[in-house]
Amino acid sequence: MTRSRGGAVARRVAGHLIRGLVMVWVVATISFVIIREIPGNPVQGQYESLIQKGMSPEQAERATAVLYGFLPTGSLWDQYTGYLGSLLHFDLGRSLSTPGVEVTTLIGHAARWTVLPVLAGTLLSFLLGVTMGVYAAIKRSGKLGDLLALSGSLLHGVPVYVIGLLLTAIFTTLWPILPSGGPVDVEFVPGLNPGYVGSLLQHAVLPVVTYTLASYGGWILAMKSNVVAVLGDDFILAAELRGLKRGIVFRYLARNAILPLFTILALSIGMLFGGSIFIEEIFNYPGLGLLLVNSISSRDYALMGGTFLVITVGIIVANIAADLLYTAIDPRVRSGGSA
Amino acid sequence: MTTSSPAPGCPAPSCPAPGVRIRDLTVVYKTPVGELPAVSGVDLTLTPGTITGVVGESGSGKSTLALSLLNAVQPPGRIKSGTVEIDGLGDVVKLGGEQLRQTRGRKVGYVFQAAQNSLNPLKTIGKQLLDLGRSHEVDDLRALVRDAKDLLARMGMDGARVLDSHQHELSGGMRQRVGIMLALVLNAQVVVLDEPTTALDMITQATILRIIREVHEERALTTLVITHDVGAVAEVADDLAVMYGGRVVEHGRITEVLGAPRHPYTQGLIRAIPRLSGDISLARALPGRPPTLGTLPAAGCVFRERCDKRMEICETVEPQSVTLDGRTVACHAAGRPLPLVKRKEYA
Repeated sequence: MTRSRGGAVARRVAGHLIRGLVMVWVVATISFVIIREIPGNPVQGQYESLIQKGMSPEQAERATAVLYGFLPTGSLWDQYTGYLGSLLHFDLGRSLSTPGVEVTTLIGHAARWTVLPVLAGTLLSFLLGVTMGVYAAIKRSGKLGDLLALSGSLLHGVPVYVIGLLLTAIFTTLWPILPSGGPVDVEFVPGLNPGYVGSLLQHAVLPVVTYTLASYGGWILAMKSNVVAVLGDDFILAAELRGLKRGIVFRYLARNAILPLFTILALSIGMLFGGSIFIEEIFNYPGLGLLLVNSISSRDYALMGGTFLVITVGIIVANIAADLLYTAIDPRVRSGGSA
Repeated sequence: MTTSSPAPGCPAPSCPAPGVRIRDLTVVYKTPVGELPAVSGVDLTLTPGTITGVVGESGSGKSTLALSLLNAVQPPGRIKSGTVEIDGLGDVVKLGGEQLRQTRGRKVGYVFQAAQNSLNPLKTIGKQLLDLGRSHEVDDLRALVRDAKDLLARMGMDGARVLDSHQHELSGGMRQRVGIMLALVLNAQVVVLDEPTTALDMITQATILRIIREVHEERALTTLVITHDVGAVAEVADDLAVMYGGRVVEHGRITEVLGAPRHPYTQGLIRAIPRLSGDISLARALPGRPPTLGTLPAAGCVFRERCDKRMEICETVEPQSVTLDGRTVACHAAGRPLPLVKRKEYA
């Protein structure tokens, strides 16, 4: 049994990777179809407008292919294989709104402004929500417990953009202590100097807090109900009747209650990536969400498709990571048992 | 005694097992209609070195009684009055906090029902054993592990393998034996087993009962076995207490209680057991249902609704426990020398 565990883990990882690749392929196909079938056929439109500008059809075809990563003419199948082929080389085409710049470059620049705040927000809200959830469960018959649960329900119900707008209104207008938007003040020289880093952090506070509050409600409610459920489990009473120290019993309780949350962790990261569209718009933060919004308003289809693809791949990767994490911490999953 | 840590209580073979005296114990549960008694005024003495079985239907208060021995009645329940004296410990009901925690596991071992999961699903048995040792300040954890392996081996298991396993890798019978090991490994002298064989197959059940009996004799324990299975308890117990509606209605040597039951409820229980040999139609189920907390009659005998020896006095006067040549029975009709008229004056 012990010997087969290593093999089981390897099989599991391989399975996840294969499933992940299939999902990426499906998403890539969908984004190809969307761009190809979007009303007005932007690819064909671009091609024709280039010809109207006096380009030869061959030149126009090449130019369009560079922009979208696939040929504007030819059969759907040729276009599709061309598109997948360039995807394999991590080529997502070139941006229209920022002429000549590769979509991958733009996405690479934007990604850091989304990934770091989203991860920071997820981590903060997870730690905060889980801790408060334990308190809410233990004090569930008291005022504090009610209050905590209420704060969870309330924040869970408020849409993320409302939280963002409220925070902006409070901290940049009513009580202006934080910058209202942008990633950093322009007067500082980029680099590892105190002024730049300080300004960077200052600008990150509101987006990160918004991400945090957006998922905090879910964590506290989920953790509370998990703790209450585990408290009713026999092994907790058994541990008490064996005279285990309070700290040890608490660890038994916390570890068993927190475990199911790791599956939600992935979903939560995904939700926040989606939420980044609103949050970055509100705080004028140059991340993937804002990139997607801008690409839509400027009808930059190559950029739109690329951003969409990258956000989705991010969510898929987060899901796989969470599942592998779960495998690492839950012995029942690890050994393939069915308990 | 193989643990080299400071002796909890005293070394098993030379030490007389502790006696347990439950006096006038009343445990109530808080409900929307007020506090209702699950255990009412129970007197029960566990003779040192014996196995006492407690039988009764669901809701008769036997599990609540078992938890009282560790002062572990769970909210919304609480011990309203009475004492649980254990030799060397004093009144357990008065213990609290750290003192109570150290008593649990170390002085009084508790074994859960087999079907219940009494083990942390995320930790190996070995790690949980170490948690137990650290909680009770066992200095020599190696010796503790050695003792655990010995105990597991005595119960027919591969100790090293079991300690390396998680709960889900063990069968029901194995988990139950692990539970027994954890209750015994700190050399507790009083051991409470709550439904130790429920949900186990017949073979495993017989094995577990044999192990309980053997370890009990080997370690000179005082043991309480809670069950609803008269057949199971007959295999292991020296004494038998029969509970009904939160009261001990009959208590005595098991051979006498089962051989010549005096309380109508005990008689009914024994009649209800089907025999392997003989006509199955001879088994008679007790008519009616056991009372719940809410349906317990306020006055009179709690069993009268289902009793075939019911008398007028049973409606109004609760029968007191009367001990006669080692047998305690609480019944007006149990044919005792006390004249009924005189008893009415007491009430």
